[in-house]
Amino acid sequence: MAILPLQLARVSNLLQTQVTQSTIAQTQEQLLQVQNELSTGKKLNLPSDDPGQAAIAQQIRKLLEQRQAYSSNLASTNSKLGEVDTTLGSLSDLIRQAQTIASANVGSDVSDDARQSAASVVDALYNQLMSLGNTQFDGVYIFGGDRSTEAPFVENNGGVEFVGTGTVLKNVVDENASLPFMANGSDIFGAISSRMEGTADVSPSLTLTTRLSDLRGTSGDGVRLGSIRLGNGSTSLTVDLSHADTVGDVITAINNAGVGSITASLSPTGMGIQLTGGGADNISVNEVGGGTTASDLGILQTSGAGAGNSVVGSSLRAEVTLLTPLANLKAGAGIDTAGLIITNGLTTKTIDLSTATTVQDMLNAINGSGAAVRAEINSAGTGINILNPTQGTNMMIAENGGTTAADLGVRSFSPSTQLSELNSGLGVRTAAGPDIQITDSNGVQFQVDLDNLNTVQDVLDAINTAAASAGAGVTAGFSTTGNGITLTDTAGGAGTIDLQAQNFSNAKQDLGLTANAVGGVITGSDVNPIDPGGIFSHLGALRDALRTSDLAAITQAATGLQEDYDRVVRIRGQNGAQVQEVQSRQQRLDDQNVTTKALLSQLEDVDFTDAVSRFQTLQTALQAGLQTSAQVLNLSLLDFLG
Amino acid sequence: MSLIGALNIGKSALAVSQAAIQTTSNNIANAGNADYTRQVANITPNRDQQIQQGIFIGTGVNLASVTRQIDQALESRIRASVSDDESASTTESWLSRVEATFNELTDQDVSTQLSTFFNSWSDLANKPQDIGLRQVVIQNGQTVAQSLQDLRGQLTSLQDDIDQQIKALTGNADSLAQQIADLNGQIVAAQGGAAGTANGLLDQRDALLKQLSGLVDVKTVDQSNGVVDVYVGSQPLILGTDNRGIEFDQEVVNGNIETSIKCKETGGTFKVESGQLGALTAVRSSVDDVVDNVNSLTSNIIFELNKVHASGQGLQGFSSTNSTNLVDDATVALTNSGLKFAPTTGSFVVHVTNKLTGLTSSTLVQVDLDGANGNDTSLQSLAASIDGIANISASVSGGRLNIDADSSDVEFSFSQDSSGVLAALGVNSFFTGTDAHDIAVNDSIKTNPSLLAAAKNGEPGDNQTALAIAGLETTSLASLNGQTLEQMYQRMVNTVSTSASASKTSADAAANVRQTLEAQRQALSGVSVNEEAINLITQQRAFQGAARLISTIDEMMQTLLAIQ
Repeated sequence: MAILPLQLARVSNLLQTQVTQSTIAQTQEQLLQVQNELSTGKKLNLPSDDPGQAAIAQQIRKLLEQRQAYSSNLASTNSKLGEVDTTLGSLSDLIRQAQTIASANVGSDVSDDARQSAASVVDALYNQLMSLGNTQFDGVYIFGGDRSTEAPFVENNGGVEFVGTGTVLKNVVDENASLPFMANGSDIFGAISSRMEGTADVSPSLTLTTRLSDLRGTSGDGVRLGSIRLGNGSTSLTVDLSHADTVGDVITAINNAGVGSITASLSPTGMGIQLTGGGADNISVNEVGGGTTASDLGILQTSGAGAGNSVVGSSLRAEVTLLTPLANLKAGAGIDTAGLIITNGLTTKTIDLSTATTVQDMLNAINGSGAAVRAEINSAGTGINILNPTQGTNMMIAENGGTTAADLGVRSFSPSTQLSELNSGLGVRTAAGPDIQITDSNGVQFQVDLDNLNTVQDVLDAINTAAASAGAGVTAGFSTTGNGITLTDTAGGAGTIDLQAQNFSNAKQDLGLTANAVGGVITGSDVNPIDPGGIFSHLGALRDALRTSDLAAITQAATGLQEDYDRVVRIRGQNGAQVQEVQSRQQRLDDQNVTTKALLSQLEDVDFTDAVSRFQTLQTALQAGLQTSAQVLNLSLLDFLG
Repeated sequence: MSLIGALNIGKSALAVSQAAIQTTSNNIANAGNADYTRQVANITPNRDQQIQQGIFIGTGVNLASVTRQIDQALESRIRASVSDDESASTTESWLSRVEATFNELTDQDVSTQLSTFFNSWSDLANKPQDIGLRQVVIQNGQTVAQSLQDLRGQLTSLQDDIDQQIKALTGNADSLAQQIADLNGQIVAAQGGAAGTANGLLDQRDALLKQLSGLVDVKTVDQSNGVVDVYVGSQPLILGTDNRGIEFDQEVVNGNIETSIKCKETGGTFKVESGQLGALTAVRSSVDDVVDNVNSLTSNIIFELNKVHASGQGLQGFSSTNSTNLVDDATVALTNSGLKFAPTTGSFVVHVTNKLTGLTSSTLVQVDLDGANGNDTSLQSLAASIDGIANISASVSGGRLNIDADSSDVEFSFSQDSSGVLAALGVNSFFTGTDAHDIAVNDSIKTNPSLLAAAKNGEPGDNQTALAIAGLETTSLASLNGQTLEQMYQRMVNTVSTSASASKTSADAAANVRQTLEAQRQALSGVSVNEEAINLITQQRAFQGAARLISTIDEMMQTLLAIQ
């Protein structure tokens, strides 16, 4: 309370009343303030009551508001992952049941009729599996990835096609922390395996219109834009690249800077940027203000490159995008556009790429061909995957007379294929001694032993070597249209080239050389088809094997189901760990909220003891003020004059 | 020495005592008048009379003057303190009204609504395909838009109130100035040109000057003939009996209404720094700053959110869309075409999807705005580039960009806009408008929530755009020099609350100074009834004494006359 300095010579009547009035008014104002605090329970009613504390209170309120979102995201994640857990539980039970049926029916004492009825049980399981795969929670297909609006598993082409995606969506659960709230359906059901991904790195070369956002930069973290300091030994300039959008913009900006006669262009390999100067230019490129632009662009040259020397930047590692021209793929070498022959299940499609100019054209041609395959750019942006999303069908990708499939690394069967991979991992079963005997059209015979060979090319070489040493007119090669080993008769005799198995070896059919010669050529088949495997395949195979009482197939299906079981259990474990994390985060968030709210209360809420005692003090002060003024103002000399 | 002389002394004493008693009575009568200045009757002895060589004898008493007990320096300090006090308390009351418009520290303030809005994006990320959640986002967007519009509306109507107040107070000040000028004339007439003692008029004039100080900070210059000249800043308001007049003026400068206080006679602007009018003009301009801040915050929310949204996709593509922001000239570079938000050099991708086959073809559209080579992108050239894409057509009409699918089997969408041109034009935008006066949720999204963009990769279940927008409030933005939208808002509110708080403190201080000075004035100039009662007794006794003297002399004269 403000107190008037009362070193005054005289006290007039008005002064007395004024002082009385102002002190009573002030006390009453303060009383009102305390009364307001007590009745609202808050000491900060307006931010201006204490701007410093109010600013903190506002931040805390904001934090609590943000945490509401985290909390609701955690609750939503918890229920979704819980649903995933339940579904995975049912799934593992289902696989266990199928395995039990498989082991119960593999013995020779089981009748075919019993197997038939077991097959119908498995068929019921199959239908149950479909509905598990298409489980919906809150209207969302939980295994559909980001295509969760439609059922991810559909019957198609004699198998079950996965039309969802493997994307796992996340949401924010804390500052700078996000957690997935779904599980990868393709992983769980084994819908897609790595076996089908393109093996070739087709990273493209740069064009002037390549967007900087599509570059991984020399460090792999992208190109972080800023300024660079460009010098030629005598002068130097800062070149602002922060607004550059494409590689062309960078080159134009450097050229417009006009430092000496330094010019920028794409490097000879087309993978980076090159700086060229005149004879006197000693080119240097430095970072500005702790940036990384020059190094990200691969042209960092802290000490001069030497007079007249060029600076050739390293590869900027451009990613493959939908808009990348096909001619720029494979570091500018481009890919062959003869096309592909894709077989999936009963469908075979020839895909002509002669009119395709961009990656998008190629993908649209493949995806729109009706072969029920899915072509996409891999997640690293370095290659193309052609996936068979249908469990229960086999996919084969072959050349259409060119090298397109090999260029993309997607040929399903080629001379470099490992023999052990063939026939769904069965490999090539050889016997002791020679495995095959080939007779040319002149009747010259030779035998080939195929033991201890690694690749298809090794087989071709072994046959050619044996033919040469026997003096037979036979050349082993590989189809240029379609996939398969070819044996071509060059003897030109009257007979027909012929191939026979030796020593009961299975090598003949395992290499796909079962067809008869046509026009002096034995054309082999593709013995390395791509089946995604997975639960649907294995369950379907079990059902079919039970129907046909194929014991070997039952065993193979059971083995597959065991893998599926292990995988499902592993993923269920991971999911369970995530659920635990979600729950512990929820707990922690609740605890944090309690602490934060306590802090907010300390800042905003009134301390009742303190406020009540202030109220008492002020009340006493007011009372005293009223009493003293009543008495003082009543005193007058006039009362004492007679 | 004669008896008559003594009688004359008695007569003068009677007259002077009467005058003194009258002064005292006047003081007592005005004991409750705060503007009154205590008067004192100054009494001097009459000139002595020499009755013998070296012997002087008094000739009675004379009333020299009746003067006001006043300290002119203190009066002028009081006037300054009145100006400051009125200024500070006016500032306090108006700033607390400004503060109240923000309604902070409650659950209904704009910052809570912003949180709710961004939280609803986060919620949408949990289930991007849900129309219900999309409706919630739209509803919360509308609430935010409405609140920001209301905030601006309340602040501008506050300015209107301030203007009304300034107008009324300027009228008061003018009439006060006129009264002072009139009093100047009366005082000169009453005092006959000499610095005399027209005490009542002087008190009246002092009271008016104090009232005027409450409105405007004035400086006074006393002239020898009794008039007082009044200046505001360095400009004269009253010169002698001439009131030059004070008036309120408003003009539109760069689209903003600016108010000023001018001299009626010369049209020059008075530099008012204190008093109620000084406070009101200062508060008015600080409200201008707050409105600017609200507008700038809103612009940033619109543009930053739209930049993210424009690169996202909804559950379905467009069959037709129009830009919402007009350009003045479709043939010049977009940076000069009158767009509120400036796009930069960059590019974006247009996806055209055939709904029958499900296949999408994407085309990169370049936007060149580097100002070099004379080939900067205009709205026309942009429309031409988009028109060149198969199966869609684009045109410009009335400063807007229209994009249409060529057939009902085709839809289109946008992604990866690094130029900001889509947001600048208002294509595929969430908010329309440019600042707090016209922010609103895009009508096409309101009518079709499927167009709300939650996805970034074109898949209906994707949530990357929703996540990016959910995090926007706490993302540090280059356009705000690394601040976040949240920080910008907080800083704005803190500035208002800090100045409101500072005004409270200075109002208290100014009131204290004023009270202290007025107490000092009361100590000197105020009437104490007790004192006056004592004076009255003294003067009464003096009167009684004088009367007794006359009666004594009368007896003496009768004694003399009785000598026979």
